[in-house]
Amino acid sequence: MTLAWTFAKRELRTGLSGFGIFLACLALGVAAIAAVGSVRASIEAGLAREGAALLGGDAEIEFTYRFATEEERVWMETRADAVSEIVDFRSLAVAEVDGVTERGLTQVKAVDSAYPLIGEVVLDPPLPLPEALQGPGAVMERVLADRMGLVVGDTFRLGTQDFTLTAMLVTEPDSSAGGFGLGPRTIVLRDDLAESSLLEPGTLFSSKYRLELPEGAGLAELEAEAEARFAESGLRWTDARNGAPGISEFVERLGAFLILVGLSGLAVGGVGVSSAVRAYLATKTSVIATLRTLGASRSTIFQTYFLQIGILTLVGLALGLALGAVLPLVFAPIIEARLPVPASFGIYPAPLLEAAIYGLLAALVFTLWPLARAEEIRPAALFRDALSSGRLLPSGRYLLATIFLVAALVGTAAFFSETVFLTLWTSGGILGALIVLALSSIVIRFLAKRLATAKAARGRTALRLALGAIGGPREEAASVVLSLGLGLSVLAAVGQIDGNLRGAITGELPDVAPSYFFVDIQNDQLPGFMDRLESDPEVSRIDSAPMLRGIITRINGQPAAEVAGDHWVLQGDRGVTYSVDVPDNTRVTDGTWWDADYTGPPQISFAAEEAMEMGLSLGDELTINILGRDITGEITSFREVDFSTAGIGFILSMNPAALAGAPHTHIATVYASEEAEAPILRDLASQFPNITAIRVRDAIDRVSELLGGLAAATSYGASATLLTGFLVLIGAAAAGQRARTYEAAILKTLGASRISILRSFAWRSAILGLGAGLVALLAGALGGWAVATFIFETEYTLIWRNALAIIGAGIITTLAAGLAFSLGPLAATPAQVLRNRE
Amino acid sequence: MSILSLADVSLSLKGNAGIVDILHSITLDVHEGETLALVGPSGSGKSSLLMVMGGLERATGGHVSVLGHDLTPMSEDDLARFRRAHMGVVFQSFHLIPTMTALENVAVPLELAGAKDAFDRAEAELEAVGLSHRIGHFPAQMSGGEQQRVALARAAAPRPQILLADEPTGNLDGTNGAAITDLLFGLQERHGATLILVTHSRTLAAKCSRVVQLRDGRIDEAQVLEAAQ
Repeated sequence: MTLAWTFAKRELRTGLSGFGIFLACLALGVAAIAAVGSVRASIEAGLAREGAALLGGDAEIEFTYRFATEEERVWMETRADAVSEIVDFRSLAVAEVDGVTERGLTQVKAVDSAYPLIGEVVLDPPLPLPEALQGPGAVMERVLADRMGLVVGDTFRLGTQDFTLTAMLVTEPDSSAGGFGLGPRTIVLRDDLAESSLLEPGTLFSSKYRLELPEGAGLAELEAEAEARFAESGLRWTDARNGAPGISEFVERLGAFLILVGLSGLAVGGVGVSSAVRAYLATKTSVIATLRTLGASRSTIFQTYFLQIGILTLVGLALGLALGAVLPLVFAPIIEARLPVPASFGIYPAPLLEAAIYGLLAALVFTLWPLARAEEIRPAALFRDALSSGRLLPSGRYLLATIFLVAALVGTAAFFSETVFLTLWTSGGILGALIVLALSSIVIRFLAKRLATAKAARGRTALRLALGAIGGPREEAASVVLSLGLGLSVLAAVGQIDGNLRGAITGELPDVAPSYFFVDIQNDQLPGFMDRLESDPEVSRIDSAPMLRGIITRINGQPAAEVAGDHWVLQGDRGVTYSVDVPDNTRVTDGTWWDADYTGPPQISFAAEEAMEMGLSLGDELTINILGRDITGEITSFREVDFSTAGIGFILSMNPAALAGAPHTHIATVYASEEAEAPILRDLASQFPNITAIRVRDAIDRVSELLGGLAAATSYGASATLLTGFLVLIGAAAAGQRARTYEAAILKTLGASRISILRSFAWRSAILGLGAGLVALLAGALGGWAVATFIFETEYTLIWRNALAIIGAGIITTLAAGLAFSLGPLAATPAQVLRNRE
Repeated sequence: MSILSLADVSLSLKGNAGIVDILHSITLDVHEGETLALVGPSGSGKSSLLMVMGGLERATGGHVSVLGHDLTPMSEDDLARFRRAHMGVVFQSFHLIPTMTALENVAVPLELAGAKDAFDRAEAELEAVGLSHRIGHFPAQMSGGEQQRVALARAAAPRPQILLADEPTGNLDGTNGAAITDLLFGLQERHGATLILVTHSRTLAAKCSRVVQLRDGRIDEAQVLEAAQ
């Protein structure tokens, strides 16, 4: 090793020139991962620091569709210095503007005088909140006011209660804790809703109690005490340790996913690193052969170059980590301005360590094979063409080492991301794409070689030259197809998945989905509600069902989470309905439905697919907490429930007698022509002010907007991959420049004009770009199909616009890199070039 | 009749050590159908002179006239087209395109000239140099002698009026060198082309109708020999 170190130092005396692409590829890949990780760490630190402010208190207790009981309230008041009660629900704001009735869906927060316990509500004009809510007054987000044409001083209605709009809501301190809402926010005083008929028994609302705790109060102890004391009451506890759990989890998941996307960038960079090492070792063939002639062992040769590449890898890693740590700090003001949550930007060692480990492992994976080839160079290479004697695969021990390193890389990713499933899918996708691309580059070279000698290519000199160059012995084709192809594959997959999801939501769904969801229809309102709709010829279908909300707390007497883990059905409350007969839109797949006059112990019909996922069987007992009361029933049938059409679908249905007496409302879906939607809303909202209408098209737009944001974030991650791919392209083009110069000189000697030589170079780039683009599209479409079919269970169709953009990007990118490096060869005079080769 | 004439031609190249004067005031006429050898010690400027004659290098002074056309004002592309139409060049290191078969290499100048029968003619040319069995082989699969024969076939395929050869036997052993010499003169004779070659070989020079000796970038008038024949 000492000797190898001595040789390595001597060889590195000439400096790092020629390793620009090596360093850039590694640094960029590491920097992207380090930057994403640093931003994620900054947001998490911000969320932790501002936990209490985000939550609106040191702790929060939430109940669904009920207020706290006296006992619960006393418990809170004895432990907290201050308690603030807020009620959160959806409603329709209605206003008369210039003689026209305007309606807008809004997420209402009804607060008490103690709100907000922490932080400050910012209004425009700047009024104190208590003053703004006097009157009764209300504040709402500008987007809703603008949509309804309201200005400060105007009046609008919630249910049957009139409010004066006193100010626009700019920020509310606890906005992040609310999660996903379909409508912009309106804040009113809870007491002003007393006569609004919006908080009748059975209506869909949640009550939240924010607690300001004495200094030093143990959050964990209080949580344990509350959950033990009010077990199975439906109480949900949140505290300042994780003030916005939804956002926190979202940031965690998105960050993990983006880092996995970043790994694809590292893989692309790895291709560039591998090419650079190959090119470097090719220039060292005579040196290695001489050393071997003089008695150097294979291991001395391997160690000599392993140490050199190792030092360069450390330099690349250091550059990448520095860049990844500094970039978020530089862009902190811009990122912070766009984030809806606080972030505490700084240098965080953990994400840097994570990026460094990825970078080191990736560098080892991608440099091991070329280094292994170095030790195979024999002294005879001094007299023969060294490149033609190289084996395709290295010896067994290097193959084993590579497999071990890849496994370590995937294992590390799974450890850091904490999502084994996602890591395996993403890693499998990247590995699969690399294998497909490597095989494709072999096929492209083979085809090009065959086509170059085909009769059809005769007479098309520029094309034939290009095909000959692609099919020739140099490694440019493999580098280009692998690096550009992988970058484009990620972009293609993102585009195809996004396009298909959006297509499913905005394309087909509006055709099969209802026009409106109506919620909070009181029992006595149902006949009048149905009369209005049934008499309307524009209404093609009305479905309605009684609706309660409940939380599954136990399965066969055991806590539900212990039996079915963190299945989404157990996350929060679920809709529960009852009916005498099997509803028209469902089908019993197993077991039997209860008789019409059944009054025995409660029976449950459960959605078949979800039951299978949760491991439920017929005969299992479920305990469901509905409005604070536990109802235990037996699963007697499974049903097929189709959620894909956005119609009414319940996971849980019970026999009517089981829910007799529980206060509840009804939910209804209305299918009508688009023209009829406005009159229906006008009539029903006037007749039943407490009923909330959710226009499905608006909800679809909102979801589509969210999906667009996610796709954009992923595309930014994928763009880093593409940028690395472009660097590798530049590296490949630069490495091929000498050969191109030589070719150009020969062709000029034979009488070729510069434009015909340029055309040949352009063909070469375009064909490779087209090849990379087509393979990327294939890989991306496969990924898109797999995700659409197996994860989202929607039909897959190829998104042509994205497909053509991918192919176009492939051609343009390779053309740009290729032609930029063609200008030098075109300008060189043939005499000098040819003489230098003598 | 003069097919190529150089009038007061000089060539200076910019190198790392500054400007280097390669050729000084060379004036020379080459007659149609003659065979001319440029000889001289290494660094005397003979290869540079050949390049200037072929328009592969631009003279920095004087005039180069080929077939009545002044090469001096021609653009790079004009020079390429002119070479395509009138000249064939053979190099010491063959300079075949490594990604093409022997047949394709020979066909390239014909294709560039737009010949419809490029490949038939290329095949005939390879047959003429004794390589009909190697038409599908790539340069790396052939010996040096074979590669130079392909290069000869490529140079001769468009039937150029002038053949330029820069040490065509320099990289070959005696047997192969002799074979290439025979082929080169055979082609020149068969097609009636003018042959200008650079060589260190006295035997090869002796086969030419005229020998011009260069020394330090100048024609050594005292050594200009008329061939015995």
